[in-house]
Parts: sequence; C-alpha cells; structure tokens
Amino acid sequence: MTGENATMTPVLQVVGVRKEYGDNVALDGVDFEVHAQEVVAVLGPSGSGKSTLVRCIDQLESIEGGAMYLDGELLGYERHRDGIRPLADADVKRQQRRMGMVFQQFNLFPHWTVLRNITEAPIKVHGVPAAEAQARAMELLARVGLADKAQAHPRQLSGGQQQRVAIARAVATNPRILLFDEPTSSLDPELVDEVLQVMKDLAEAGMTMIVVTHELDFARHVADRCVFMAEGQVIEDRPSTEFFDAPRSSRLRTFLTRTATPAREGGA
Amino acid sequence: MTMTDLTTQPVRNPSADRSIDAARARRRIHPWRVVVGILLAFVTVQIAVFLVTNERFEWPVVAEYLFNPSVLMGLGMSIVLTVVGMILGSLLGTALAAGQLAEFAPLRWACIVFVGVFRGVPPLVQLIFWYNLAYLLPRLAVGVPFGPELFSWPTNDLITPLTAAIIGLSLHEAAYMAEIIRAGILSVDSGQRDAAAAMGFSRWHSFTRVVLPQAMRVIIPPTGSQVIALLKGTSLVSVIAMGDLLHSVQVIYNRTYEVVPMLIVAVIWYLVLVTALTLVQRRVERHFSRGMSRAAVARRVVERTEAVA
Repeated sequence: MTGENATMTPVLQVVGVRKEYGDNVALDGVDFEVHAQEVVAVLGPSGSGKSTLVRCIDQLESIEGGAMYLDGELLGYERHRDGIRPLADADVKRQQRRMGMVFQQFNLFPHWTVLRNITEAPIKVHGVPAAEAQARAMELLARVGLADKAQAHPRQLSGGQQQRVAIARAVATNPRILLFDEPTSSLDPELVDEVLQVMKDLAEAGMTMIVVTHELDFARHVADRCVFMAEGQVIEDRPSTEFFDAPRSSRLRTFLTRTATPAREGGA
Repeated sequence: MTMTDLTTQPVRNPSADRSIDAARARRRIHPWRVVVGILLAFVTVQIAVFLVTNERFEWPVVAEYLFNPSVLMGLGMSIVLTVVGMILGSLLGTALAAGQLAEFAPLRWACIVFVGVFRGVPPLVQLIFWYNLAYLLPRLAVGVPFGPELFSWPTNDLITPLTAAIIGLSLHEAAYMAEIIRAGILSVDSGQRDAAAAMGFSRWHSFTRVVLPQAMRVIIPPTGSQVIALLKGTSLVSVIAMGDLLHSVQVIYNRTYEVVPMLIVAVIWYLVLVTALTLVQRRVERHFSRGMSRAAVARRVVERTEAVA
C-alpha cells in the first residue's frame, strides 16, 4: 500500500478519549484501534456514546481528554513547546479531508444535483479536474446503482437512494477511513437492505470502515470486529464471531438477547 | 315564520331518485353581505365625490407637476437611495449576521451591540447625526491609530447630504437585514454544516455555497417588505436637504404654496413604486414556493416512472 509502515501502524488509534456535555460524560476513556481494510461495527444501547465517538473522530465535536491518531498523525492538536495546542482551522480541514462520513440523516445538499453533491469536494477541495471528477462520480453512481439519477435533486429520491448517494459522495474523495453514523436508522425497513448491500460491497473492496449501527446481522457477517459500548465506555471489543457466539460480559449478553430480531434472510 | 321553517327543512330522500340535482341549486342570499356591500359602496361614493368636488385638491396643478423634471429627479434620487441602501445594507447585514453567530465571543458581542444600537436609534435621528458629524470630528483622517496621519480631509467636504443619507440609511438597513439573515441561517439544518465540515469545505465555502443559498427561502419574503419600508424611509432624508422625491415637492410648494396638490404628486409616485414592488415581491415569493411544489411534482413523476418500469 503506501509503505511498509502502512501495514504496521493502525489507520486510526483512539487513546483514552473523553467527551463531556456539561456534567454529562458522553465518552469516558475510550480506547480502540482500526487497521487498514478492517471493518469495525460499533454497537450499544442508545445514549452509550457511539455516535459521539465517530463525530469526535471526524472532529465535528471537540474532545476533553485523550488523543486520536490518523495514520500515526495526532488529530486536532499539534506539538507546541512542551505540550500540545489545538490545530489551526485549515489544518483541521486538511485532516477531515482524509476521512469520509455518512450521516444518519444523509445530509445531502438539497439545492444541488446528485452529481454536484458528489463532485463538489473533489473539485473545490481536492483540486481534481472537473471532467475527471465527473467521470469518477458517474462510476461511483453506477456502483451504487443510481447512474440514471445524476441530474436529480436529493428531494426527488427515496431515503435509501439518498443514503447511497451520500455514500458515493463520501467515497469520492478516496478517504483513508469511512465513518458511518447509524446509516440505516432513519430509513423505512424495506430500504435498509439496499444501503447495507452498498456498504458490504465497499467492505469487500477493502475500504477501512467504522460503522455505528443497530443492524446485528450486518455486524456479524460483514464486520471483522465488533465493539460494544455502554455509558461512554468500551465494554467488549472482539472478532465478530466470538462477539456474538461467546459474549463475555453480562451486559452484552443482555443487549444481544434484547436486540436480537428474527434473522434476515442471507445476512446483510 | 312558517315560511322559514319550510325552507330550512333538511331534504330527506330515502329512495334516492334523481329529481334533485346540485347543479340546478338556486343562489343563497347572505343578508349581512348585502348590508356590508351597501356600506362599502356608500363610503366609496363619498370618497370619490370628496376627491372630485373639493376644489382644494387642485387636480390641474397635480397634473401639471406630476411629470415635472425636478419631481422626476427627486423620484430618481429616492430610487437610487433605496437601491444603494439595500445593497450596502444587505452586504453589511450578512457580515453582521455571520458575526452574531461567530464562535469567537468578542466578535459576537461586538456584532450584537452594533445591531442593537442601529436598530434602536430612529433613522431620522441617525440622519441628522451623520449630517452633523463635523461638530464631533472636524477632520477625518486615514492613518496609524495613535500614530501619524497619512491623509486627512475636512469632515464637511466628505459629509454631504448624499453621503449622510447613504450612511444613515445603509446602517439602519444593515441592522434589520442582519436579523433577517440570522433567522435564515438558523433555519438551515445543522446537518448541512456537519456535512460541509466533514468534507473539509472551508468556512467561507460552507457559508456561501451551502448555508446561504438554503437560507434564502427564509430570507427573501421579509426582505421584500424591507425594500418597501426603505423606499418609504428615504423620505426622511428631506430633513437634511437631500433632493429626494419629498424634498423636490417641498421645494416647489415652498415657492408656490400649493402644499396639498404637491403632496398628492409625491403620494401618487410613492404608491406607484410601492405597488410595483409589491407585485415583484409576490412574484419572487411565488417563484420560491414553486421551487418547493415543483420538487413535489418531480417526485411524483419519478415515482410514476418507477412504477411503470
């Protein structure tokens, strides 16, 4: 890949990260790593801090303690004299450009066409020539099965279609890691599978991904590892099969029995 | 009484034959509508008679001065002040709105105080104040603060009725536009800013290309009313001898003493402009609401084609 170290250094390291909203502790010393081409599912009851975690990684929220590294580079801070200080705005943007984010509410730009939604960042932020960016966008749209929707506006699409466009948009800048914040939680049940299928294709193509989700089948069959969070802490972090077949903590066992739904045909 | 009882009886027709047909129903008479209609007609006739028979309106004088060159010059100046005030006010208002929402607290407070002051001071008071700026600052200079001056001018050379009018109206307008634009910005879903930030858009790119265009839907309608208010507000500049529409008719009636007919000339022009602006505003609003319904129509078309496919 990019060098010998690429296989050694984790793509993402999260070390003792704390996040507070006033008196409410959202993240209470979270540690975990994601290696290249790994797919990590983050599960947990609502309010456990899993969405906050990916928002902090993408620097949409500040952290109150700990540190995060992308390819070994400290996120959000720089060394200054004896310690560290927050990065300049432009440097934060530079780091954000190396990650992709898919939101629960899609957050497509409603005043632009699907094509411009996908090409804006490559052209305006990464300096890719327009023709090249458009060709790549059409290729991605074909991959998510929406080649005929390039000129449509987001409001003309179903939720599932919008989320597939949002994934294409996040992939268009070739991110080192793709973060999913409950990508199927606001979809009608019959639209969930088309989005999960696109995510599964990405995983198989070798994309490094963190997926906050409630879809247990996806976590079990597509993710390499599953992380269980509760009250802002990582309770369990293990390979997917062990995670589901031999949960260690009683909390995870309770969570799995409570959340277990009749298995969807053929996994995700 | 018996008649009324008969006519208000509900129609019962258990066999549902076809002899009754809503298409052949008679018109119903609403007595209160008749009363209000007669009153309105009476008032209208009274006003018309007053306008025509009262000699003091001096309609021939109104007709004579309606297209008088100095009146038209004044009219043009009122339009120019409205356009310039609106452009400068919108630009400064956008900056103030962004500043009021800034993360850096001192900048936020500065913008809030600025908007508070210029929204709170009556525009008439402001105009007189700017016109008399020379009393406070005899000379205006460009230079290093507390250091040497590079250029300087006597304030009275810079503050003419025109510059005082533009400064006063623009600052007043900026304060109002700041509030309108701030409301528009706040109406945009925070997920839009998240998405822009996640893709690494600069703050400027995110604000000008993502947030502002979506805020327009909320900003445009009150801005239309603001343009109309500003047009009427330009009449205030007549007190500092700025040659607007009102001032131009005042100059004439100070000479001829035909006060009422000259004011009628100004009233006619104000009404013509405000009516024209109202029509434009309606059209712009319809354009924006059509944007919404057109999306709905297109969605229906998409669904139909998908159903067919």
